[in-house]
Amino acid sequence: MTASLMHTSAELADFVRANERVHVLGRGSKTALHQSAQGAALADLSALSGVTEYQPSEYTITVGAGTAVTDVAAALAEEGQYLPFDPLLPDRGTIGGTVAANLSGSRRFRYGGVRDFILGAKVVDGLGREFRVGGKVVKNSAGFDLSKFLVGSLGQYAIMTELTFKVFPDVSCFRSLNFDYERLEETLTAISFINQSAFELDALDFAPSAEGWSLMARLGGSPATLPQRVERFTEAMQRETDPNDVSEIDDQPALWNPLAGLRGNTIVKVVLPLSQVPALDAMIADSQRRYGVGGNVAWLSTEDVVSLDAALKQSGLRGLCLLGNLESPLIGQPLENKLAARVKAVLDPLAKLL
Amino acid sequence: MSTRPLGRPTTIDDQQMNHPFIEALETIYPPERILTRDAQLLPYESDGLTAFQSKPGAVVIPVSEEEVIATVRLCHEMALPFVARGSGTSLSGGSLPIPDGLVIALNRLNRIKRIDPQQRIAVVEPGVVNLHITEAAQPYNLYYAPDPSSQSICTIGGNIAFNSGGAHCLKYGMTSNHVLGMKVVLADGTVTQFGGESIEGVGIGPDLIGLFVGSEGLFGIALEITVRLMPQPELYRTVLAAYDDIGKAGDAVSLVVASGLLPGAMEIMDRLAIKAAQASVKAGYPDAEALLIVELEGEAPQVEAEFAQLQSIIESSGAFELRVANSEEERARIWKGRKSAFSAVGRLSPDFIVQDGVVPRSRLGEALLAIDAIKAKYGLDVANVFHAGDGNLHPLILYDGREPGALERAEALAGEILALCVSLGGSITGEHGIGMEKRDYLPAMFSEQEIDIMQALRRAIDPKEIANRGKMFPSGEAPALQQHGLHPLERQGVISRE
Repeated sequence: MTASLMHTSAELADFVRANERVHVLGRGSKTALHQSAQGAALADLSALSGVTEYQPSEYTITVGAGTAVTDVAAALAEEGQYLPFDPLLPDRGTIGGTVAANLSGSRRFRYGGVRDFILGAKVVDGLGREFRVGGKVVKNSAGFDLSKFLVGSLGQYAIMTELTFKVFPDVSCFRSLNFDYERLEETLTAISFINQSAFELDALDFAPSAEGWSLMARLGGSPATLPQRVERFTEAMQRETDPNDVSEIDDQPALWNPLAGLRGNTIVKVVLPLSQVPALDAMIADSQRRYGVGGNVAWLSTEDVVSLDAALKQSGLRGLCLLGNLESPLIGQPLENKLAARVKAVLDPLAKLL
Repeated sequence: MSTRPLGRPTTIDDQQMNHPFIEALETIYPPERILTRDAQLLPYESDGLTAFQSKPGAVVIPVSEEEVIATVRLCHEMALPFVARGSGTSLSGGSLPIPDGLVIALNRLNRIKRIDPQQRIAVVEPGVVNLHITEAAQPYNLYYAPDPSSQSICTIGGNIAFNSGGAHCLKYGMTSNHVLGMKVVLADGTVTQFGGESIEGVGIGPDLIGLFVGSEGLFGIALEITVRLMPQPELYRTVLAAYDDIGKAGDAVSLVVASGLLPGAMEIMDRLAIKAAQASVKAGYPDAEALLIVELEGEAPQVEAEFAQLQSIIESSGAFELRVANSEEERARIWKGRKSAFSAVGRLSPDFIVQDGVVPRSRLGEALLAIDAIKAKYGLDVANVFHAGDGNLHPLILYDGREPGALERAEALAGEILALCVSLGGSITGEHGIGMEKRDYLPAMFSEQEIDIMQALRRAIDPKEIANRGKMFPSGEAPALQQHGLHPLERQGVISRE
């Protein structure tokens, strides 16, 4: 199946009107999202790319939805700024795909996720109508906020062609620390301590390790104060959480890519609260896994999606398969559909968008 | 769309027992929680947009979510318009009653069901007062971040309806950014829930929280809300800088932004706003054309280092006086003047309209000059207070409602300011919402098609258009009656407008 390359939003609108079923691709990096689109006409948005508007002093950037995440990050880095939600697959995905799948990385811990930084979008809906949602300034509460609604919507309600984000100045210096605990419970107690402390971490992930559990914390800030902050944090953690071992780890980009250590063909994101980590972990102990954002997201690799689906349903949780070959990327508890269906009826009444 | 107005009884015990809707309400509520008498209805006739009032047909006071759900279902069945109301502090007329419709007063759904410090969340009912969450979280060194100026009285339900902001939005966002999960009753009586306790909120699937928050009560009523709590910063550093020219204060903001600092708040007040704050709370502010408040927060070593940097930036920005808060008490004093500035203007003028436009931050100076020209044209005074960090202007238009035509002039002036904000690339509302006040300006920001789509969405959720009818969308419905003077609670100093 070949995808048609869209050069403009108007071309995409025509394409939607002309086809019965439409499915969107950025760079196809999240393979599991495209399996259910069999038989649909494929629209490739990778040419709807580039920075449309960027005013560093406004903390806003507007980009084509097909822009590679790396290109957005590079434009921002030139001005010392960044996307605080930390797009997950920076080397492969497009910014539109990141929003549609709602994929924030580990640094989301500090300021928030995709929903907290999207300001507005241009879209084409299932009737081929082109329109704007949200705004272009950092603060706006006019009209219904459909731009937030599109976060995680998997292109099934409207196709984003252009996106505006709030951005922040980035810090210049980072240090990463590893704390070893024997048991998961101790790791979670340590996270509870951090959650009630005034330490401001850039990222906080944990995963099983050869020694038990490894809690990884990252601090970011100015080079002048970072050593003191690292020292204070380490000392408090040693005093309050009694880790088996504390070590500084090399602050490599791969360290803070939660998928970097996961092998296998099927990669799943699970959203959960910290309180449900022990119960879920007991059910998925055979999977390779890493918990991100202080235990609010689980990233895992599994060969047995059926069991995972059952475990998630049992826990009232849901998962999104990013990589893999599945009938549907959504597993676990079904999505809310009482409110969402009303939106679908307005934006895509012919159910064209898959 | 035809509706059946409630037909308010004209005298105290006039035929109310016979009205089918009242009779139906009596199957849900005991008589003491159904208000229909004029004297009982009076407190519900207006909100923070004090220039307008409108008499509801009845007010009900539910004490459980089941009662709210039953009420909404009844309204849907009988096509009776309703508005959910918390403390009635909306500045855009968002909680203004629909004439002869029903007010669902949620103040008694005010339980904080749970504070979970380990996960940094709170689960609350819609009538919980904003500040009460912070008070309940304080023992755990946590707080609820959105801080509208009315936070000591406004409720979370209203904050959700209007996606309320405050002085600290730039860094940590508005209400929408702090809601993780909700249970709601849609306007047609459907009950649904989305999100949960994860910091990711909905996380997988469309972000229904983002859609519901800020929908101005048009989609339905939030019954239970899970919010995220933030750790109390270890250290605040607050500086007040005085300028002899408001342009310099604006430039200082640009310098701070260009430096890469990310303050928790950046606020500017102009001469008239300063004067009001002095007259009202004796803020002890310097005599200046403009004041800039900048606040840093975070881990102590980082904040101390950033503060040194901030001080040198402010010193180079042409401030003639610099005051640093050296204690929590001094910090509170700096903020007190700012947070009370608007009610304080009530001392300078019998009536005023609070506007809420947004411009790109770099165009603040341009916007202020243009506002000066507009106010000269109308011969009215305008005080300016704004969240400079995010370009959110709050021009305060002073007028005397007893003077014939004065309100209309003030409204026309306000309209020009909103048009200005849109033309500069901003928004007609940063945090107060469209409500009733700005509904006619919605077309300035959105195309006809965009408004049609929003209207269609509203009808898909509320086919009878009963939830907060007459708000957000341009409408030919009869305007509310006008009144003048301060809101009764404002007069008592309980609430303030921001």
